[in-house]
Amino acid sequence: MKTLKSTQTGRKIVESKLFFPFVALALILLLDFIFIPGFFKIETRAGNLYGSLIDILRNGSYVMLLAIGMTLVIATGGVDLSVGAVMAIAASVAAIMINPTIIGVKLPPDVMKLVFDPNFTYSPLWEVILVTLVVSMVCGLWNGILVAYGNIQPMVATLILMIAGRGIAQLITHSLRIQIFYAPYAFIGKGWVILPFSLYIVAFVYAIAWLLTRKTSIGLFIESVGINFRASFYSGIDEKKVKLLAYIFCGLCAGIAGLVASSNIQTSDANQIGLNYELDAILAVVIGGTALGLGGRFSLLASIIGALVMQATTTSMYAIGVPASAVIAVKALVVIFVILLYSKQVQSFVRKIIGQKGA
Amino acid sequence: MVESNDQIILMKGIHKNFPGVQALEDVDFALRKGEIHALVGENGAGKSTLIKILTGVERQDKGTITFEDKELLIKSPQHAQSLGISTVYQEINLCPQLTVAENILIGREPMKWGNVDWKKMNSRARQILEGLDLKIDVAQPLGSYSVAIQQMAAIARALEISSAKVLILDEPTSSLDTHETEQLFSVIRKLKNEGMAIVFITHFINQVYEVADRITVLRNGKLVGTYDTAGLPRLELISKMIGRSLTEYEDMSKVKSDVSKHIRGDALLQTKALGRLGAIEPFDLVLHAGEVVGLAGLLGSGRTEIANLLFGIDKPDTGSMVYEGHAVKQFSPLASINRGIGLCPEDRKAFGIVDDLTIRENIILAIQARRGWFKHLNLKEQYELAERFIKLLNIITPSPDQPVKNLSGGNQQKVILARWLATNPQVLILDEPTRGIDVGAKAEIQKLVLSLAEEGKACMFVSSELEEVLRTSHRIVVMRDREKVSEFGGDVDGRKIMQTIAGSES
Amino acid sequence: MMRKISTIISNNRRFLPLTVTILLFFVAYAVGAWMYTGMRDPQVFLNLFRNSPFLLISAVGMTFVILSGGIDLSVSGVVALTTVASAALLRDGWNPWLVILLMLVMGMVLGATMGAFITYLNIQPFIATLAGMWFARGMCFFISDDVIPIDNHTFLILARTKILIPGLSDPVSQTGDYISILVIVMMLVFAAAIYIAQFSRFGRTVYAMGGNNGANEQSARLMGLPVNRTKMLVYILNGFCSALAGLTLCITVSSGHGLYAQGFEMTVIAAVVIGGTMLTGGEGYVFGTLFGVLVTGVIQMLIQFNGKLSSWWTPIVVGLLTLAFIIVQSLLAAQNARLLASKKVKRAEVGLPSDAGEAGKKKPMPFARQLLVFGGGALVVIVGTFLVVTNGQRNANGLSSTTPIQNCQSQPFRQDQAVTIIQSGAVLAYERNGGPNCIDELYAIYPDGRIEGDNGSESVKKQLTPEELDHLLSVIVARQWFTNEIYDTYHTPCGSCYVYYISVSYDGKQKTVKAVDGGTDAPANYWQVVSEINGVIPKFTSP
Repeated sequence: MKTLKSTQTGRKIVESKLFFPFVALALILLLDFIFIPGFFKIETRAGNLYGSLIDILRNGSYVMLLAIGMTLVIATGGVDLSVGAVMAIAASVAAIMINPTIIGVKLPPDVMKLVFDPNFTYSPLWEVILVTLVVSMVCGLWNGILVAYGNIQPMVATLILMIAGRGIAQLITHSLRIQIFYAPYAFIGKGWVILPFSLYIVAFVYAIAWLLTRKTSIGLFIESVGINFRASFYSGIDEKKVKLLAYIFCGLCAGIAGLVASSNIQTSDANQIGLNYELDAILAVVIGGTALGLGGRFSLLASIIGALVMQATTTSMYAIGVPASAVIAVKALVVIFVILLYSKQVQSFVRKIIGQKGA
Repeated sequence: MVESNDQIILMKGIHKNFPGVQALEDVDFALRKGEIHALVGENGAGKSTLIKILTGVERQDKGTITFEDKELLIKSPQHAQSLGISTVYQEINLCPQLTVAENILIGREPMKWGNVDWKKMNSRARQILEGLDLKIDVAQPLGSYSVAIQQMAAIARALEISSAKVLILDEPTSSLDTHETEQLFSVIRKLKNEGMAIVFITHFINQVYEVADRITVLRNGKLVGTYDTAGLPRLELISKMIGRSLTEYEDMSKVKSDVSKHIRGDALLQTKALGRLGAIEPFDLVLHAGEVVGLAGLLGSGRTEIANLLFGIDKPDTGSMVYEGHAVKQFSPLASINRGIGLCPEDRKAFGIVDDLTIRENIILAIQARRGWFKHLNLKEQYELAERFIKLLNIITPSPDQPVKNLSGGNQQKVILARWLATNPQVLILDEPTRGIDVGAKAEIQKLVLSLAEEGKACMFVSSELEEVLRTSHRIVVMRDREKVSEFGGDVDGRKIMQTIAGSES
Repeated sequence: MMRKISTIISNNRRFLPLTVTILLFFVAYAVGAWMYTGMRDPQVFLNLFRNSPFLLISAVGMTFVILSGGIDLSVSGVVALTTVASAALLRDGWNPWLVILLMLVMGMVLGATMGAFITYLNIQPFIATLAGMWFARGMCFFISDDVIPIDNHTFLILARTKILIPGLSDPVSQTGDYISILVIVMMLVFAAAIYIAQFSRFGRTVYAMGGNNGANEQSARLMGLPVNRTKMLVYILNGFCSALAGLTLCITVSSGHGLYAQGFEMTVIAAVVIGGTMLTGGEGYVFGTLFGVLVTGVIQMLIQFNGKLSSWWTPIVVGLLTLAFIIVQSLLAAQNARLLASKKVKRAEVGLPSDAGEAGKKKPMPFARQLLVFGGGALVVIVGTFLVVTNGQRNANGLSSTTPIQNCQSQPFRQDQAVTIIQSGAVLAYERNGGPNCIDELYAIYPDGRIEGDNGSESVKKQLTPEELDHLLSVIVARQWFTNEIYDTYHTPCGSCYVYYISVSYDGKQKTVKAVDGGTDAPANYWQVVSEINGVIPKFTSP
């Protein structure tokens, strides 16, 4: 009886979505520990923590934010390629709200010279954040309508915003890279409260997402729609609204990520912000075990760990000395490796092994 | 009459098991050259499994296949094709964006100096189609033609590929109108006269009598028999397909109480000339509280279409529906659930279970949909609900957290049932709820349906097993060819129902 | 008569998207020629072709992939890798023809690898080719972080040879309208592609496999077609085309860098879609891709000639046009699907009359409505383009190059200084700004052959002989510097790209042109000039 119970819990752990990403992360950190001296060193400066581990958390915050939203979209059986572009749009909107002189708004002369002052902002911060988030949700709404009501394939539908979005971001800023001097805004991405502030944002968004999906029935409906949308329809679930919500939320997360990213470099760079991040986000979700293309069961936490796996890989590569731009080659190999690991052939193989042990 | 040494295929003692269901049990099937052989049976009879074995898609667990006097194993679809067994499936498996000629000849196009010779390909395709009495522009995309033409192209390809000796047609007339069906029949008669052996799977009884030489009847995975069409009256055929022998019906004991004592409540649901173009002719139907209405008829007679209309899966083109005195304006599953109607769908795999979700989640799904996004049932409530129904319906599972896909078919069906019972509907529609379920569970479900009626609900019970319908219904509606043809009281003679279904006098 | 026309049109309905694109191209060009005299020069028309090999070769390969129902996002990575690898090998002295061969083989091997993952391991094409793109780009930086210039003689000949058009040029003085060798190569590839698509078993299988959300692939398998083998070949073919396109690029810009062709795969897909190929596969023509590429070129040309818009409007307009085509395609597909579904309606026993008359052919969607839907969409885009073009916004002010995040502080352009240099009598002012080290180098070349350059911290000097100076200037003139052919293509550059700013004052004429490294939209001749100038100026020792 005892062995039965322990293999049951054993199987439960192994089959949980968290297992594999956690193991992957642990493995990478282990390799770091062995091969990179000082990797795990954490030092304190002025009450805040710094170190390579903290770097992983901080640099990974964009992808973690994106991954939270992307998880829901992929769970409904779709994908959102436009998140990088939405990040750029969000950054542009924020920038011109803080400093609209660039786009030609005339200010009285005594105000004009304050434009570079870190205490100056044309619109109050809460307004900036609110408008930005609304705009990014509208982007998500656009995607959602195309997919749920227009019946266009998600890859194609979100591709459109991905291409056009950067142009829109350029349009907003008149193709200028606007520098943002306002200090409180910069705090979003660069601030530290013991841990980098962006981590708290991630935690907050994760909490909201968790409440939204697990404390309401939205999570169940998303999974149901992803697994079998016809049966969901027969059970009275409006799959169109569910998908719409997923895309809107993904847009929101992208907007938040855009705010964090642009505040980190204190610039709104329509060309660079979010470039290639959509891919990282999708991969984080895939590593976290949500099935791309099929959808279904998802785990937000596993996706976040997946994002950390990607970021840990990147940071470790930098620490080893791999040229910065060459790291994506390593990422590519990680991706293929992960996908193979989740493929049917390997899964059944692993299950056989575990099954044999428990028999 | 054809001599028996014209036999081209003999399948003997075929057994086939899938996890949870015995698809075929000791089935024999003999096919002769130059005959059109109809294969009939209701859902779950095993027709498609038998054909899959014959065409190499599946392998039998036990039994032998003899082809042209040689015993062999059909290893794969390509192998079957190379033997000369060609199949045209119900879903036309061609490429609609390619031209007709390409569809017929692709993979073996005529070549000239290493290029595809379009001119020759088109003329050859024209030639082949003329052999089937069809003259069309073969250079147009296949998709621009009607389904009937596409089917002809599929047949043309099937014939062209191997020197086909056996042609299997799986439900070929499902999407054809009368004229197109006639065209198809003249083609297959022509082929038969040229010596081809043709297997014709269909659920249209009239067509069987029109064109088939012999009929093989399957029921619940077993062979009922093979007969000459000329010697088998319609009524007998139907009784073999859906029920016991006629005499057995006359002395079947009833589970339900004496009908005359049955108290019927108010009319809950009423339809007036409700119909859907191409799916079901306008019908009038009333469902009263406290009664079970059985829907009898063959596959394809429109039973599921009625169920889908009442539940709002499909929207009607004509007529109206009144529920509890109010006119129904919105036809959608959610609106129906809100009203208090539930539907247990016919195809539980496609429309019923959400297989990766647990039993608990599947059970609470509809009731949660009704409550909306934010009125979430907390875990405690969910488990309570799930446990209650697991017990009530005797669902066999170690825990409510098992994914539904791990359950047997019968238990899966019970989970779906639980889902709808949990919504506490006033009207419950059950479409083939006992299909693929063991005998014990079948009886449980029948008893459950009757007890629901006793509680004052209205039930509609659709089944192709006539004895089930008779056993559980207070009133029986008979369907034939997409039309409601008759209504009987629950104490009707089973024979009468079969006559009505067959559309003939005894 | 109307009946006859409408029958002809309904019989050839599948050519409708192609026709729309072709019309779009001619209409756009005609309007442009009417608005701008420069566009009436035959050389300008030929330049559409001269600037296309890169895009067309790649788009041709991509057409096959998309027709088969797949997608290949790795093209930009393979292109970049090809440029870097070729440049590196040439720098190490390898035989140029061997390098070309090797690159093509490399492209095919990469394509085969991705194809294997997609075909046999069932990885989605989107993911597999994305990983391929990352891998290829990453490998570039294992080879080199900086731009590697190419000065191999063979490559230079391939780049600079003018092939004069008979009838429009004078062979004695070697002037007149011309095209380049690369255009010939492009045409050969294009012709071969059309042949393969229409006349080979492989091509027909490609067409059979695509579309209908994978249902056609299923059908094709059931029909016995060699689906797996064809899939592999399609990706190998696209790998070949990507490598060939990469060779074209590095020949044109005489250098190789891992950051070239960023976002290129999107432009390629856009060209294929605009050319009438359905993104879901199964329908489309290679011939259309040519016009998709030309339309992209015309749009860019219109924006250039307008002069008031910054060239980043090109990707926006192209994006909008792609969007319009995708939306129309999807609407038509959805409508067809609905028609198909309603056809499956069982009518046999309900006694509905059969479709008497039209010998079994279903009623096609009314031709008028189709034309309206499709033509309307395209018309909206054309009109939109011209509204935008004529009411364009002001050009962006001089921007410094993008700062790679947390890397170096970018330097501002020294435009005023350049103007002063020219005013003080210099022949040429050349500024190179940006790059991974955020440099800003400004050179002045004077009529007496003096070259003076400074990068903010250091200054260098060099003296050219009169012959060298003459050669430089004559090359610049020969490369059409003072004609409409050379134009600004300024857009915010990639992180480590350079921005070039060249002012030439010679023979009473003066012209300034800006362009960004790694952009695939600047005219080929511009890069020849840059390469020529780079060949004579002295180098700085410190950044």
